[in-house]
Amino acid sequence: MRDHSSVIPLLKTIGPFNEVADDYNYQSAWDRLSTSKILVIGAGGLGCEILKNLALTGFKNIHVIDMDTIDLSNLNRQFLFRHKDIGKSKSEIAANFIKQRIGEDNINIIPFFGKIQDKSIEFYSQFDLVISGLDSIEARRWINATLVNLSSSNNKIIPLIDGGTEGFRGQSRVIIPSFTSCFECTLDLMSQKITYPVCTIANTPRLPEHCIEWAHLIQWNIEFGSTKKFDADIPQHIQWMYETALNRAKIFKIEGVTKQLTLGVCKNIIPAIASTNSIIAASCCNEAFKLLTDSNPYLNNYMSYSGDYSIYTYTFENNKRSNCSVCGSLPKKIYVESYKTLQQFIEDIKDKQEIQIKNPSISSISGPLYMSSPTELQKITKNNLSKKLNKLISNGDEIVITDVNLPISLRLIVYFTSDEKDPELN
Amino acid sequence: MTIDKDAKYDRQLRLWASTGQSNLESSHICLINASSTGCEILKNLILPGIGSFTIIDDKKVSNLDLSSNFFIKNNEINRNLATVTTKNLNELNTEVKGFAIEKSIQDLLIEENDEIFWQQFSVVIISDYTPKLNQLIDILWSKQIPLMIVNTVGFYSSFNLLTSETTVIETHDPSKLYDLRIDLPWEELQQFADSFDLDNLDDQEHAHVPCIIIFIKALQSWIKTHEGQPPWVSYTEKKNFKKYVELLSRNIVLENNFAEAVSSSHRAFQITDLPDSVKQLLKISKENPVTKNSSIFWIYIAALSKFLQLNNDVLPLPGTIPDLASDTKNYIDLQNIYKEKAKKDQKLFTEQVESVLESIGRSKDEINNDSIASFCKNSRLLFVTIGSKKFISSHFIEQFNHEKDQSKIKKYLIYFGILTFNIFINEHNRLPELSDLKEFIQLYNEKIDSTTLAGSDVKVFEELLSHNTRNYTNLNSLMGGVVSQEVLKLCTGQYVPIDNLFVFDGIESSSEKFKIEY
Ligand SMILES: [Zn+2]
Repeated sequence: MRDHSSVIPLLKTIGPFNEVADDYNYQSAWDRLSTSKILVIGAGGLGCEILKNLALTGFKNIHVIDMDTIDLSNLNRQFLFRHKDIGKSKSEIAANFIKQRIGEDNINIIPFFGKIQDKSIEFYSQFDLVISGLDSIEARRWINATLVNLSSSNNKIIPLIDGGTEGFRGQSRVIIPSFTSCFECTLDLMSQKITYPVCTIANTPRLPEHCIEWAHLIQWNIEFGSTKKFDADIPQHIQWMYETALNRAKIFKIEGVTKQLTLGVCKNIIPAIASTNSIIAASCCNEAFKLLTDSNPYLNNYMSYSGDYSIYTYTFENNKRSNCSVCGSLPKKIYVESYKTLQQFIEDIKDKQEIQIKNPSISSISGPLYMSSPTELQKITKNNLSKKLNKLISNGDEIVITDVNLPISLRLIVYFTSDEKDPELN
Repeated sequence: MTIDKDAKYDRQLRLWASTGQSNLESSHICLINASSTGCEILKNLILPGIGSFTIIDDKKVSNLDLSSNFFIKNNEINRNLATVTTKNLNELNTEVKGFAIEKSIQDLLIEENDEIFWQQFSVVIISDYTPKLNQLIDILWSKQIPLMIVNTVGFYSSFNLLTSETTVIETHDPSKLYDLRIDLPWEELQQFADSFDLDNLDDQEHAHVPCIIIFIKALQSWIKTHEGQPPWVSYTEKKNFKKYVELLSRNIVLENNFAEAVSSSHRAFQITDLPDSVKQLLKISKENPVTKNSSIFWIYIAALSKFLQLNNDVLPLPGTIPDLASDTKNYIDLQNIYKEKAKKDQKLFTEQVESVLESIGRSKDEINNDSIASFCKNSRLLFVTIGSKKFISSHFIEQFNHEKDQSKIKKYLIYFGILTFNIFINEHNRLPELSDLKEFIQLYNEKIDSTTLAGSDVKVFEELLSHNTRNYTNLNSLMGGVVSQEVLKLCTGQYVPIDNLFVFDGIESSSEKFKIEY
């Protein structure tokens, strides 16, 4: 039988750096391993590691959520999956594997095959701690905002430990809702998908990526209209993209369009290896272990690891931002050129690093300016899209941006700059 | 590589491409002690597809092993550790070959004193210190096989890399500077620049001149009008040059290429010279002439030295340019001029490699064009370090005694504490506990540093003894990730590995790296 002999020495004796030594009690620290309920979000590269680490350090009540199924390209790092599991639910296979390896009697893991947005607030409020190992920025923002909202509306503080990796680099952080900075506070630090100006893609391509984006963003719609949606997981679609991009590259004498690059650009692929997941997941679980058992102080509040040129780590306290749209109280400021229409403004904020809202609805004090859903409201407000923003609101007005997919109301104060003319029109 | 393999390894091929992958697939990793840290390291190497691995361990699976090691199954208590972990790890990737040797390293060293046995390994890893290693260290050192030694105790860990020399060609330098030769255009580039008559272009053409051309022109006319002085002599002059470039534009708001030139003016200030790191390499090469047994890296350096004599001390051109605001034709023409020059340099360099090979009596068949191309592309960014074989040195202790930074002092102490921890086990055959603190400090003073410890320093040792386990999964797994990243770098021959000691504090979640010099 698998016991916890490796965990006992970590809890039995109080170390000299313990900051709550007076209140520390071995038995209650031990009990917390079996009573704490932990939610793991993501059963991918980080998730597999997180589940293994939690199980081996004695945690017994774990839920895991993932909406994805297993793909061949996961097998170079997601070690709970085998070739025969391709196509099956990640969370279910991962939970089964852990149960089998650790022993059904030793651990209770409940998988959920679906989206985090499908679960209710009540579901989330049952946990003592959430660990997220996701690559989707949107999902990380969602869980962050949900937990911060829970802390302010229900006074229920559920720590969130967030990990992320990219190639040889990664970061882990501890978020204590209402007390520390939150995920949204540092949205502008997250590396973003590279985008290319449309005029370059359409008129003056220079790189193979420009040709691929031309096929991807322009040519696909011309060829198939709205009838067939592009799906990067369908080999024939990728083949079409590749051939179309390659033809364009030939016309412009551009070298370097390959199938691998096509896939990388269309799917926005981020390199990933087992090693980095191992480092970041272990760091997240180490913080979870310290936080729940009080065996040692936890990270305050951010560590980044970089292994691509020797090894560097950087540990620091990330400060809360007073104008954070999730945990702050002040609106952000935004400067908008006077010539911009509401439509142009919306396109800008979609890509803006600290906003990144995909389907924005916008309101001012006097009412909705544009609602992306429901359809009836979209119809009523879409006439505003072609109007200049400075005709709809005045300089210094506050607007609120929302997205049905995010529990965030983003407040912006708009200041108009003097540029009256659109340089694109020249 | 098959399509299936391409797809399976897609996420890592984007880091080290097929050249790195085939190096990885021909590597053989040896693990001494099938500890939980050791198995974590191997997991991270088997998944991306190393060629083979060998685990050496004579111990039987204990409850403690099972408690912290995911690669042992519940019914495998009392079986041989090496055998069960080899089998369970091998399930991760059936393309990898796994071997178990059910012997202690000490016994093995007596049997395998013919050093051929060790020759098969690309890297040897010892997870948790094992006594009487000097013989092994000597063998591996002489064969230039990197040895990694990793220790975790409670929330602390350290990892040494012992290797006589590390050379890296594909460093993937993160500064991402381009070698553009704006200050020193070769004939074809100069001619191309001259073909643009800025004053007589129409507005459309003027707004599509690549900024490299703008820089070449601006720099040359600047030097003419500034008594031969380049703009990079001072900050003020650099700022003035920026303004100078801006004034060449007809309308800086509308001309993206000029806006780009202004914002990337640092490119114009890059001086084409021999970096100190390359000079150092040439010096080493001159002092240690290549022989029949030299590695290809040093043969390239010898060839580089000849190349530089023929090429006015200018390195081979990498031949890549960044994306630039420009129309397609100008950009592609410019790109081709760089590519052509790079090819020419590569040809001249290949001739020098041939002549070096010939001079040491080796065959020209060794010439590998991909490898030469990669060397030429990276000649400015090459990495070499002469390693060290020691765990501790008087110089290192001296450094520690002069250290003022509290966070660094702590990392020294963590490392010294771990060394003392291992010495204690060696002497007493058991783990030290908090009640052993006094003796522990004595041992430290005796074996490591005789200087009296400050009260705050003793805390680090207290922490080690309070949480005196080598089996804390989270630290095992974290170090498994750290060490495996370094193995991947050594095996693919890409990215720069650590030199040569890493210390991690899992309480503060911070780290430090050191070099233990002689
Ligand atoms: Zn915030």
